[in-house]
Amino acid sequence: MPYKRKKYHVGDTHLKKRWRVRNRKKDLDQIDVDLKEENADKLLNQSVDLDLPGAAQYYCLHCARYFIHQHALADHFKTKVHKRRLKALELEPYSIEESERAAGHGNFKLPNKRKIVTQETKNIENEDITERDSEEVIPNKKKKTEENDT
Amino acid sequence: MRIETCYFCSSRIYPGHGIQFVRNDCKIFRFCRSKCHAAFKKKKNPRKTKWTKAYRKTAGKELAIDPSFEFEKRRNSPLKYNRELWAKTIEAMKKVEEIRQKRSNNYIMQRLRKGREVEWQRDVREVQRDISLIRSPAAGLKQRQAQEEMEVEPETIEVVDAKGRKQVIEAPVMVPATGEMIEDGGDIEL
Repeated sequence: MPYKRKKYHVGDTHLKKRWRVRNRKKDLDQIDVDLKEENADKLLNQSVDLDLPGAAQYYCLHCARYFIHQHALADHFKTKVHKRRLKALELEPYSIEESERAAGHGNFKLPNKRKIVTQETKNIENEDITERDSEEVIPNKKKKTEENDT
Repeated sequence: MRIETCYFCSSRIYPGHGIQFVRNDCKIFRFCRSKCHAAFKKKKNPRKTKWTKAYRKTAGKELAIDPSFEFEKRRNSPLKYNRELWAKTIEAMKKVEEIRQKRSNNYIMQRLRKGREVEWQRDVREVQRDISLIRSPAAGLKQRQAQEEMEVEPETIEVVDAKGRKQVIEAPVMVPATGEMIEDGGDIEL
């Protein structure tokens, strides 16, 4: 009997799209750099960008994701995905230098363990910003409504 | 020319081999073969992938900290060619490599030796626990009982009460727990 199965779909998985370079998300070592205070401040207080979800106002540092509003962000903090990410960041991420040390170029260092906590939530500011950006972005409409009122 | 190291498995990459990925922050990730590249694309953690050097060193399978590792390092400043120095360096490299191999082999042997000790202890424990499979715990029980009866005949004591009545009482015989008796007779001559 000749072997019938052709195995045309070996390696076909829905995850393939995620592995493409164009869909590449931030690596753990990049996020580790983001966690430094000066970078974290910048990322958490971004200027309004209408191309990004939630105008880039609701950003999760550890997962490198934008959310559409404060509620979605708060919900995300409770999810398994987020908690798993916190756990993954506890150990210092793997780096090119470590790969060289593992190869025998210099002594190998064991990664340190750190304490990673979810970023603090900011409530009042965000509401202000959304109101402000609506004013900035669509002044014409507002004027029109005012005209209509008058 | 430079022999690079693989980002994932830390093996050597000779010129013309492997592939490299430049991330959008200018970091260069080099891979020795498609296996390592695919694992990187899938965001596998080299520390948790058993066939990488990083795993073997974090898990303590291989010698990780030793002064002999300090010789081979990335040096980015060029040196002017000097034949004498070159010849000496080659000699030193051979010697260092020899020492390093000896130490890392020794490390692995030490590690395995510990396993053998544990194995031996486990065997001893198993024999002690399951000795009853080889030798019945009841073996020689009747003989021993008969012996004891012969030795320890119930003694009688005359007791005089406070009121002056005489009574004859059997003295309490100290019998060791049965388990102990079995162990006493449990010696096996091999």
